Amino acid sequence: MSDRFIRWCRSAAGVTILLSILLAVIATIDRGPYILVNTAITGGMLALVAVGLALLLGVMNVASFVHGEYFMIGTLVAYYVFTPLQNFLNTNPSPLLAMVAPLIAILAAAVAGAAAGALTEIMVFAPMRRRSRENWVMNSFLLTVGLAVLLINGHLLIFGADFKGIVRYWAGAPVTIMDVFISRDRLFAFLLSIIVILAFWVFMKTTRTGRAIRAVSQDETGSLMVGINLSAILIFTMALGCSLAAVAGASLLFLYPSYPTVGLEALYMAWFIVILVGLGNIIGALTGGFMVALLKVLTVEYIGSGWDFVVPTALIILVLIFKPSGIFGSEVRGVLDQ
Amino acid sequence: MNILETKQLTKRFGGLVAVNEVSMHVEEGEIVGLIGPNGAGKTTLLNAIAGLNPPTSGRVFLAGKETTGLPPDRMCRLGLSRTFQIPNPFPKMTVLETVNCATIFGNRKGAVSDVAAHSRKMLAFVEFPMPADTVSEQLNTVQLKRLDLARALASKPRLLFLDEVASGLSEGELTDIMAVIRKIRESGVTILMVEHIMQLIMNLCDRLVCIQFGTKIAEGPTQEVARDPKVTEAYLGAEADQCTAE
Amino acid sequence: MNAFDKLLRQLNLTPAGVLGLAVLAVLPFIPPFNQEYLIRWLIAAALIAAGAIAFDFTAGFINIVNFGFYAILGLGGYTSAILSVNVGLTPWIGVFIGAAAAGVLGFLTGLLTLRLRGIFAAVMAWFVGLALMGLATKMVWLTRGPLGLRTPRLFDTASNIPYYYLILLLMLVTYIICSRVVASKVGIAFKAIGQNMDAAKTSGINPTYYRIINFTLSCTLAGLLGGFYAHYYGILTPDIMHTSKTVEVLAVAYIGGRGSLWGGAAIAFPFILAMELVRSGLSNLPGLNLILYGLLLILVMIYYPGGFAKFFDAYIRHPKNRALNYFLNGASVRT
Repeated sequence: MSDRFIRWCRSAAGVTILLSILLAVIATIDRGPYILVNTAITGGMLALVAVGLALLLGVMNVASFVHGEYFMIGTLVAYYVFTPLQNFLNTNPSPLLAMVAPLIAILAAAVAGAAAGALTEIMVFAPMRRRSRENWVMNSFLLTVGLAVLLINGHLLIFGADFKGIVRYWAGAPVTIMDVFISRDRLFAFLLSIIVILAFWVFMKTTRTGRAIRAVSQDETGSLMVGINLSAILIFTMALGCSLAAVAGASLLFLYPSYPTVGLEALYMAWFIVILVGLGNIIGALTGGFMVALLKVLTVEYIGSGWDFVVPTALIILVLIFKPSGIFGSEVRGVLDQ
Repeated sequence: MNILETKQLTKRFGGLVAVNEVSMHVEEGEIVGLIGPNGAGKTTLLNAIAGLNPPTSGRVFLAGKETTGLPPDRMCRLGLSRTFQIPNPFPKMTVLETVNCATIFGNRKGAVSDVAAHSRKMLAFVEFPMPADTVSEQLNTVQLKRLDLARALASKPRLLFLDEVASGLSEGELTDIMAVIRKIRESGVTILMVEHIMQLIMNLCDRLVCIQFGTKIAEGPTQEVARDPKVTEAYLGAEADQCTAE
Repeated sequence: MNAFDKLLRQLNLTPAGVLGLAVLAVLPFIPPFNQEYLIRWLIAAALIAAGAIAFDFTAGFINIVNFGFYAILGLGGYTSAILSVNVGLTPWIGVFIGAAAAGVLGFLTGLLTLRLRGIFAAVMAWFVGLALMGLATKMVWLTRGPLGLRTPRLFDTASNIPYYYLILLLMLVTYIICSRVVASKVGIAFKAIGQNMDAAKTSGINPTYYRIINFTLSCTLAGLLGGFYAHYYGILTPDIMHTSKTVEVLAVAYIGGRGSLWGGAAIAFPFILAMELVRSGLSNLPGLNLILYGLLLILVMIYYPGGFAKFFDAYIRHPKNRALNYFLNGASVRT
């Protein structure tokens, strides 16, 4: 046991995780616990987006450039569901409705994200798959580029370029934990991300559909032979992955108002994570979510906002020079040429 | 003289040992068959030698010089060529361009003065049935295998790996390909072939190397190895499994 | 074969191509194109066309999308602009230093993405571009950030015509360099590693070497175009490095036809002019032109991934009529 632990500590994954924890502790002592709080909130949501992206990569073999747009759809739906509810509440106060209104908004976003994802698979990927599998990875990637342009500018055309945001989901005084004030929205976002991640985990491990998805990601032909309905699984996977991104977008509406390109940051953060950890397992994407979030928070804290573009990128480039398959990716051969 | 020699060659993928301490040799001018049940690690062994997937440990010698872990393009220029089990050389190129690639880059600089003529000669040598300006993606599997063979020969190899060059061929095509393989040997190229078709192996190979679960279980003259009870058992056992799987 | 045909073959041009160039050359004098705003559109189109050629040189041959293309182009522009503003170097020399800087970064990006498979190399190049844009935004003391860096212009005139001819020339030079490399042995290696890495390696091709050559050359040309951009518009903001710019060139290159070089350049002119018309004509519908972009890219990817060039090769390229065949293919069909 201790032997295995030492070996894990020496592996790339172990070193980076331990280093991240150490950094987080040092920064927390230095600047205060809000570092940890911010990392946890951003990390949870980044993990949701990244898991969706990793899912699409693993199961559908699609390197999606459009994933951030489902995040955007999430923010948009949540805004247009929550704002009328809130206006209604302003005239007819009701504590119960005030409680559930944010949940309704986020649920609506999840449903809309899933619907958008399923539609994308049915209308775009399925026809392409039927026509030709040749050069699939590259062509499907370019397809998602076109889709991203379409959705971003569709938003611009229909809803305009202005920021559509809310002040907060939950009224009331901030919660105090470890002498830090945490707004109820942030606390809720964190809890939600944990709940969704756990639910996703249980789903993938225990249900028939979850197992079928994992089977498809390992061997498409094989899974066809054991009687898995491939097209249904693909639609479901796409819906699931996009729904996760939409939930993340909706939960963070108080931080990121909805505007056409709001999804871009979520997109490249998710790609950071996926490339950093290697196209591995879901645990990789989850852990990576928190690590990249920490990196982002620390960069903003110590170097300045705006640099959170540059510093994580530079670091990821360094990591990839020394470990081109990503820090968890020793067994995954997809990224490399060989 | 040994044109190829491996010493304790091992290839691991994570925890899986695909090739386990295989030591073997190929003498100049021979045709050696590498046999074994499906999934025994034959292609992995070829890849480890040719540099496509470098070995985890062990050593490789090509014509007496150590070449362990050299990249495949270096190996090619040192005189080692190979064909692929499922050949799909450059789909958008014409047949001639495909062979030209190996003619130009597989030989030392200036070794071939007229590239197109050399490539056409290779196509004629393997009796390629289609016009040279056919685009590769329009060829069927049998034609692609011939094309891949011409491509592999264009770099003037001393040692040629054939990876299931005959699978899926009809009786008549099998006779044709045997004639071509004999012709290749007569032109002075040593051949190491992975093959399942017994007819081909018994007719062509001077010696056999049999591996199972990544480990060498027999090596020697063809008739001897074919009669080796370990080999028969490996095959029959595996085939019985296959029958149930299919 | 007469001297004209020989020259055309040297330059990889066909009579049809020459005619196209000639039309472009006289266009600024033909109404309605003699208006300054239309000439500005033509310049924008020629810039995209030249970019699409350099982009296709990588994407269409070694099958790697350089997602940081405009970031690297922007680096060339910024290098030249900063040299002329801070050191007082004439832009006519600066643009070449900018091109060299972009080439060096292209070399490094090529090195960085070496072991990654196509799509991940694209994402890495994208990260490099994002980092570069972040730097340009934050290094305000050098680049003036989003406020924009005022740059000296190349010609001392308010007219756009000299710029138009310069960018046409740049486009032609880009095309000739790229097409000559592609037609050489190096080009065969490019195509081989783009189409089947394993078969290329076992045919004796060293992918590392050729990938780096390709990236370096493509990025050098991008840097040169960046220099033009900087000293034509007279102001440079980090927006030049934005991903959406790369997407624009990408869309044109792929709709035009991957692996053809000329396809993107040929459709860039009608395409960009149409887009500008939509943008200026329907200014109450912002983003509509880009929606068309996205839609077209999606449709091409699903139904005709080869793009315009593939269509042209399949249906138009080889007419029965000999004169027409000469016009489209030049003196003798190249083998």
